[in-house]
Amino acid sequence: MKISKRTFILTLAGLLLPLIALDRAVGIAARNSVPRREMARARNSTGASVVALGNSVIGVGFVESSFDEGMGSGRQGGAINLAMGGSSAVEQLLMLRYALRQGMRPRAVIFGFFDFNLTHPLEFATRDLIGNRAMLYYTEPEYARTLYHLSLHDRAEFEIMRHFELFADRGLVWERVERFRRALSQEGMPAEKANSMGRAIDFAMLEYPSVPEFVAECGRASHNDLIPSVREIALQASAAGSKVYFVEMPMPPAHVQSFYDQPAWAGYRTHLRDMLGNLGATYIDASHWMPDESSFADPLHLSWEGSQQFSRRLGKFYADGSAAPPYSEPGVAGAAASEREAPLPLR
Amino acid sequence: MDNAITTMDWIKHALEYLGGAQDEPPPGFRVALGNWWFWAIWWGAMALAIYVFSGQSSKFIYIDF
Repeated sequence: MKISKRTFILTLAGLLLPLIALDRAVGIAARNSVPRREMARARNSTGASVVALGNSVIGVGFVESSFDEGMGSGRQGGAINLAMGGSSAVEQLLMLRYALRQGMRPRAVIFGFFDFNLTHPLEFATRDLIGNRAMLYYTEPEYARTLYHLSLHDRAEFEIMRHFELFADRGLVWERVERFRRALSQEGMPAEKANSMGRAIDFAMLEYPSVPEFVAECGRASHNDLIPSVREIALQASAAGSKVYFVEMPMPPAHVQSFYDQPAWAGYRTHLRDMLGNLGATYIDASHWMPDESSFADPLHLSWEGSQQFSRRLGKFYADGSAAPPYSEPGVAGAAASEREAPLPLR
Repeated sequence: MDNAITTMDWIKHALEYLGGAQDEPPPGFRVALGNWWFWAIWWGAMALAIYVFSGQSSKFIYIDF
C-alpha cells in the first residue's frame, strides 16, 4: 500500500511541529541554566571588586560573603563568584569576557584550579559539550572555537547543533532524566553520599588513578605551556586593569599527601609559577590550607563550612597581599612554600 | 495456548506496522497509512523518547546544570 505525497508531507509537517515546540520549550527551560544565571549576575554586579573564576573547586569553595568579610569590605562592591562546575578554562574565559563587556572592572580576578587544569590541552568532542559547557554553543562560539580542538566531524556537527536549543541545551533534559534514574536506583538502597553537584564518589573519578601516573603527568606537564584560554584569562584580565591571582585550591589531605607532596608536583608548580609570573599573575599555593578531612564534602570539594573558612582566609590574604604581594617569587614550592603562604590562622 | 500465540502474533504484526516494516495493519487495527495526524504524533513521540533518553551514554559526574 502506498501513501500519497500529500499525506507524507502532512505527516512530516505534523512531526516537525512538536519538534519545533520542543526546541522552544528547551530554550525557555534553559533561560535559567547555570551559565545564563551567572551571566545575569554578572550584568547586575558590575561594581564587583573581585571576580572568582574556575571550575567547581572554586565554584563551591569561594563564598562571596565570607571572602568579603575576610577582605574587610561590605557586600556592596564586594566579590562575585562566576565559577561553574564541570567547566573548562574556555567557558571561564567567556564568562570573564562577558562580565568585562557589561562594564565590570574588578580590581582582582581570582582563578582557582586543581591538578593540571592550567596546562592540559583541551580536546573536545560534541558529546562533551553538555551541562555548563553548552555555553560554547551560544557565547562567542566562533571566538571560543579557536581555543579548543574539535575533529572535522565534530566541527560540522557543532555548526549544525549550535543553531538549535534542542541540541545546544540537551544536557538540561538529560540531567532531569539522570536525576530520575538515580532516584529510582536509590529505591530500597542505602542512601549514597551526594551534594548539589552530584554523587560524592563520582568525583574520585576526576583524580588520577595512581601516584605513578600522576608523577608521570607532572613530568609531561612540566614541558607544557599554559593552555591558550588560561593565558587569555591572565592577559585580558590584566588588560582590564585587574590583578590576576591563580590559586592552587585546597585539596583533601589524602589528595595532598598522595599527589601534591610529590617532588614532581613541586617541579610542576615551579613551572606554573614561572609561566604565570611572566604574565604578571600571582600564584597562590592554597593546597595545604585546609588540612582537616572534615573540611571536605567529597574527594575534591570543600564542604560549606570549609568553603566559608577558606574564603575568609583568602579574603584576608588578598587584603594583606594586594598591598604588598610577598608570594610571587619563583622557585618556591611544596610544603615550605605553603607555610610561607599561610601566615594567617584558620578561623 | 493457541490464543496466546495468536495474540503474540497480532502484537508483533501491530508493532511491525507501527515501525514501518509492514504495509498492512493486523486485523482490527484501525489506523490506516493515510491517517497522517496519527503517524505525525506517533513518530513525534518516538523522536521525543529518543531525544530524552539518548543522554544515558553520557558519563554524568556533575549534575548541576
